[in-house]
Amino acid sequence: MLINANSNSKRSEILLEEYLNLLKKGVDCKDILVLVQNSKKKQDFIEQIKEKSPIGNIGSIKVYSFSGLIYNYILENWVIIENTIKSDIGRKISPNLCGLEVSQYIFKQCIKEVDFKGYNSKTSLLHQLLRRNSLINFNNLSKEEVDKRTKILNESYSEEIQSAINKYKIKTIEKRAFDYIRQINLFELLYKKTKNPFSFVFIDDADEITPAVYAYLKAIKSTVKKFFIGYDSLGSSRLGYLGAINIDFEEFLNEKAIKLNDESQKTKNAQKILNFIRNNEQIELDNIKTKSFLKRNEMVEKVIYDIKSLLKNGIKPSEICVVTPINDEFIKSLFEQSNLKFNFLNKSEKLNQNKLVGYLLELLKIINDTNNEDISPYVLKGIFIELLNSKPQEAIKTIQEYHLERDFKGSNIFDFIKNKNIENFQKLVEIYENIRFEKLSFQLLNIVENFIELDREQQKDIIKINQLLKQIYDFEEIFQDSITNKEIITQLENTIISENPLSDDEIDNDSIVVSSAQKIIDYSHKTKYQFLLDCSSSLWIKQDIGPLYNAWVMQKSWSKETFELEDNIELTKDKTARILYKLYLLSDNITLYSSVYDSLGLENFSGIDKYFKYKNETTKAQIKAITPRQDQKEVLNYKGNLMSVSATAGSGKTTIMLLLVEKIISGEILDNIEPKNIFVLTFMESAARNFKERIKAKYPNLEELPNISTIHGLALRIIKENNNYSKLNLDFDFEIIDEIKRSAIINEIIYSLGISQDKASLYDSAISAYKNELCAFGEFECKNSVFLNVFNLYNNKLKEQNLIDYDDLLLLSLKLLKENEDVRQYYQNLAKIIIEDEAQDSSFTQQNLIMLLGGKYKNIIRCGDINQAITSTFTNSDVKGFREFIKSSKNVVMDRCQRCATGVLDCANGIVEYAKNKKADAFSNLIMKPVEGVNIVDKYAVRKEVFEDEKEEQDFIIKKIKELIQEDKDRTFAILTRSNYAISKWDKLLCDNSIKSYKNSDNLINNPVYRICLLILEYISNPFDVKIPKVIAQELFELGKYPFSTVKYANELKTPLFLDDNFDEQFLWDMNYFLYKNCTSIYDLVYQISSYYFSKTPQSVNIPLVATIAQKIYTGQKTFEATVKKLREVQYKNNFSNIKFFQSEDDSKKNSSVQIMTLHKSKGDEFDYVFIPELTQDNLCLDTKKYTLKENSKFNEKVKKHPKTDEELKKDIIEENYRLIYVGITRAKKKLFLTSAINYKIFSKVKKFEVSEILKEVYNDKTN
Amino acid sequence: MTKQIDTFSSNSLKVLDKSLEEFMDRYIYNLFWAKKEKRAQLGQKFHSLICFYLKGFDIKKLEDVLDDNERQTWNNLKKILEDKKENFIQTEYSFLTKEALNNSFYCLTGRFDAIYKKEDEYIIYDWKTLNLPKNPKDDLQSIVYLYCFSRIQKSEKIKLRYLSIEKLNYIDVEFSDSKTYKKRIDEIVLKYYNAKKEA
Repeated sequence: MLINANSNSKRSEILLEEYLNLLKKGVDCKDILVLVQNSKKKQDFIEQIKEKSPIGNIGSIKVYSFSGLIYNYILENWVIIENTIKSDIGRKISPNLCGLEVSQYIFKQCIKEVDFKGYNSKTSLLHQLLRRNSLINFNNLSKEEVDKRTKILNESYSEEIQSAINKYKIKTIEKRAFDYIRQINLFELLYKKTKNPFSFVFIDDADEITPAVYAYLKAIKSTVKKFFIGYDSLGSSRLGYLGAINIDFEEFLNEKAIKLNDESQKTKNAQKILNFIRNNEQIELDNIKTKSFLKRNEMVEKVIYDIKSLLKNGIKPSEICVVTPINDEFIKSLFEQSNLKFNFLNKSEKLNQNKLVGYLLELLKIINDTNNEDISPYVLKGIFIELLNSKPQEAIKTIQEYHLERDFKGSNIFDFIKNKNIENFQKLVEIYENIRFEKLSFQLLNIVENFIELDREQQKDIIKINQLLKQIYDFEEIFQDSITNKEIITQLENTIISENPLSDDEIDNDSIVVSSAQKIIDYSHKTKYQFLLDCSSSLWIKQDIGPLYNAWVMQKSWSKETFELEDNIELTKDKTARILYKLYLLSDNITLYSSVYDSLGLENFSGIDKYFKYKNETTKAQIKAITPRQDQKEVLNYKGNLMSVSATAGSGKTTIMLLLVEKIISGEILDNIEPKNIFVLTFMESAARNFKERIKAKYPNLEELPNISTIHGLALRIIKENNNYSKLNLDFDFEIIDEIKRSAIINEIIYSLGISQDKASLYDSAISAYKNELCAFGEFECKNSVFLNVFNLYNNKLKEQNLIDYDDLLLLSLKLLKENEDVRQYYQNLAKIIIEDEAQDSSFTQQNLIMLLGGKYKNIIRCGDINQAITSTFTNSDVKGFREFIKSSKNVVMDRCQRCATGVLDCANGIVEYAKNKKADAFSNLIMKPVEGVNIVDKYAVRKEVFEDEKEEQDFIIKKIKELIQEDKDRTFAILTRSNYAISKWDKLLCDNSIKSYKNSDNLINNPVYRICLLILEYISNPFDVKIPKVIAQELFELGKYPFSTVKYANELKTPLFLDDNFDEQFLWDMNYFLYKNCTSIYDLVYQISSYYFSKTPQSVNIPLVATIAQKIYTGQKTFEATVKKLREVQYKNNFSNIKFFQSEDDSKKNSSVQIMTLHKSKGDEFDYVFIPELTQDNLCLDTKKYTLKENSKFNEKVKKHPKTDEELKKDIIEENYRLIYVGITRAKKKLFLTSAINYKIFSKVKKFEVSEILKEVYNDKTN
Repeated sequence: MTKQIDTFSSNSLKVLDKSLEEFMDRYIYNLFWAKKEKRAQLGQKFHSLICFYLKGFDIKKLEDVLDDNERQTWNNLKKILEDKKENFIQTEYSFLTKEALNNSFYCLTGRFDAIYKKEDEYIIYDWKTLNLPKNPKDDLQSIVYLYCFSRIQKSEKIKLRYLSIEKLNYIDVEFSDSKTYKKRIDEIVLKYYNAKKEA
């Protein structure tokens, strides 16, 4: 019997009926094999047999999941395998059918024995090998079949891989240790050697079976009286990595399939979804709604709101499910805060993520490490409180005493607590004495039996601890004395395994299930309402390819001789279509939620949202219309082709670009254009975010925004999308190195080569310069052998750790486009129009990338201002490229500046004129003009002053600011400095003069979430310090979280806060709460602290970012204390691991304060009053003769094919100085103050300085 | 969501008989520590060996795994089984029966180590590595096994034989009366039903 029908039909019921009919006819159920997809379905089938069978004997039921069949087959027939093994070593009466952790351990050993020459990513090799091995086994591939695929994929390291896999196979035989994937090999051997015991075979969800199971069915076919197969010919959602195959069951059974309910609307709609996705068409159905948001937290909050509305209307929790590919802490935390009951079916959670398991492993580590010098006090506190039930205060005091004594006497923790008169401490010491030399499982059992209650409240923890025990038993049984307790602990702590097929989640009846799509399908979890989250994330579309595995080519049925990008796109799309088809069948109403950003603020792309049509037409929000000026109009008249826009400062460039994008979206400029065809490239991440927010505000219902990103964001997308990274031999989880890690690596390398550490920054920028040279000059090789050595070592280090740097990002994406026609065509077809902002800062590589990307339609608009090119001396930006583009394209000039007072404009134009007179080629010929009736007319808007000494200059600025604060209530101020160092100095000065200041930099510590979390973590790390609570109280008071009395309370504290007994003080309760909170994951702790203070504030969007930074640091540092220290160390970095905070526009502190920032940072900003102090010759030299080149500047030239002479270099630097001051000047709307002193104190000595040329006139007047 | 029918094994009934609370903890909430007892491991070893042996597999290589003591035990046991090998019709036979109780159902489940048949008489073998039961007739394992087997074979010529693997002594329990067995089992199950009702 063959039934071809979907899960919405009565297919499963019919199969069950047929099964019961056979029983009725007297067939013994031990003769009937029932195969279902997973153990949850197995349980369901058995329960239904029980329910529907008559009273009396039912029999020996043989219902198995696909993997369960194999497991049982091996156990029952093991002796056959043992008899085929020649060697007598390791004989076993029963095999070790173990978990994947054991395989991971064995594989690790095998990797050590093989020299992987071509692929050496230490972080992902193991993953890659495990995946490849799974695919080979799922698909039952013979050696020849693997070899054939190796050729198709042109794999260069197949021998190494094969060697590792062979070693693995031998070791698993020696140890008789087989995980569920390895078992597949044995199964094949067994069923060929045994008599088939089953006369009847039932299979449900047969479209999800793997080739290995299918091979079994073929083998037993002739001995089976009848098959009963239920399948969905459109199903097979587990195609690809999960190993399902498409089988023609009609051919297999040589019978026509019965088709059920093909006429139902639901089936028709589901089929429509499948076909539409396959044909790249957009779906519009009545029961599918779509909602899009900018930030992920906004999306999740709306989901919670919508769920609450349903519940209010009488819908039961079990009738709702949430489907997301990103079942992370972020979602968990927001859902948990909602007070709704959720059931997270999360198999990706690793065992050691359970709190009790985590602390038990920590305790075992201490027990098995005689030299416990590294015990983290934070961990110890968790062990004392969570496992030994210590009182928190007592635990903290004991730990403090222990550390003092340990530092002094070096004593062991057990020796120390032995002398404490505390019952559980004594008990632990006693147990420790008894178990310290025993096996790990014995140790663990003793601890849990003595310290963990078998309490119903702790049911989930107990299950997890038993799983831990099972894993330990596995290791002990398999490796006996060849593995130490410590090695087992290390392995369990570092497991990469999160999924073993034999454990399945229970579904509660009274909670809302949150799960991945695949699990909802596997469980056939039917609900009235399905909420699909993160639909814009590419994680919805599973990628099944890595450098060492390719799930498509590894399919048994792969017959093509090649594998192209198009194959991957089509196959992945087909799989996505199947998943969405199956999901749709399981629910009556579906809502898709998407967000532009993920929770780390990175842009989502390539999600499933593109397959669904948004119901609401693109409506514009009511925003005041802008009438463009004459010089702006020309930009809006764009009709295609190459266009350059030279826009001066304050010319309203951003507004016009926004209008231009709007016009393009509305189809007024080019035909057949969709938002996805528009690429807007900004220089800064913040500008991209800002641009997107403005577009989204204008078109709240626009489901798909244009591609707005930095060039690096775009490059990352090109590398990640459609598995393109595999063409570059990158693993899918490669990361981009951040400046902290990069400098650590470079430091390490130059130290190892005996080069002076102070040269690190030289090498840092030279590496970047050289990479750009490689791009520009192809085969060029630098002659400096020392540098080359550093360069190669650096690149190897990156490869080992699966990292790339920012230069690689551009180079690799360019390489992809250049070398792969399919990739190039894909993006060229997509990029119907490209708009680049700040084009003057574009690097050679970047310009190459843009021109290549826009190569088909050639609609490229590049906007910029040559006069504001201020990054070329310290980045690879190439202003010449933009100059040439201006010449070769239609050039539109926006030379009206409506920002600055007329006097300021004159000053800026004067600089241009001055440079011209001095023959400095710093500027274009663009002279800014005011807009009549808009600019403030004030000839005296600029004041230049030269003072005798620093103090006078400072007093002048302070006095002016104070005056202006009184005169002009609603105003903004900025002090622009030449260096980062000066920012703190001015900040202190303003603070001393009671003027509110704001250090405007992207420093991590500038973010309030980061600042508060770090302070509280420092308090937790050092609760005896009475100063920390004072700072915390002050900061939180300023943020409006506590009243001023809290500051007073904290300031008057005499004892450590946690020992105080003023329980009326909320602050004490809150701090104690965090102090006594024990989390094995620092992410959780940081998340909880920051949610407590910042949820439902504009800063909430930064909560996951701070938590992720802490987690990433923890991964490297390993202990809580070191993590806190590192968080403080990196506070002045502007990002960590490329995580950049969202700037909050409504930051009142920022707007009401004097902002202090560098001249560089000020670009793009504007202020009513601008002060540019300390304009000495040293800070702003405009004369090549007076400029002395620094080593730093010269070093980069050594790695270039066409190095600049010292004179050329000097000229470049001086020209950039001109532009830098030009940028500073043009920030001022009302007044500008350019000042300098003659004498400055340097390291407590007064030194005389020459003033910059810009103040020369004033200086001469003064001195004459 | 599929409705679950309460299913009991002789072990779970024993616990329920002793204490409802303990039963709930152990079987409903799964509150126990997964110990791996040496005796149980030994039992497992012999169960597998007997099973392979009775199925007629060549087990010479498996016998090599045994230590001297175990080999001695095994050889002795094998001698007993050898003569009767042909009469063992099943090994490791799992069963499931459905029982009515007060307009509701429950199921009984378990696994017979081996079934021996001579003419029309059946012996259910239960291999023991621990001590043999003290009151075998009243032992719930005897009750459940004999009751369920009588349901399966619809025969009353049944006995349950507890055989000590190491000492080779055994105790036989003859089938007595189905109704009495059922009544005893129902009484225990009711304990749980009543508790559920109250909850």
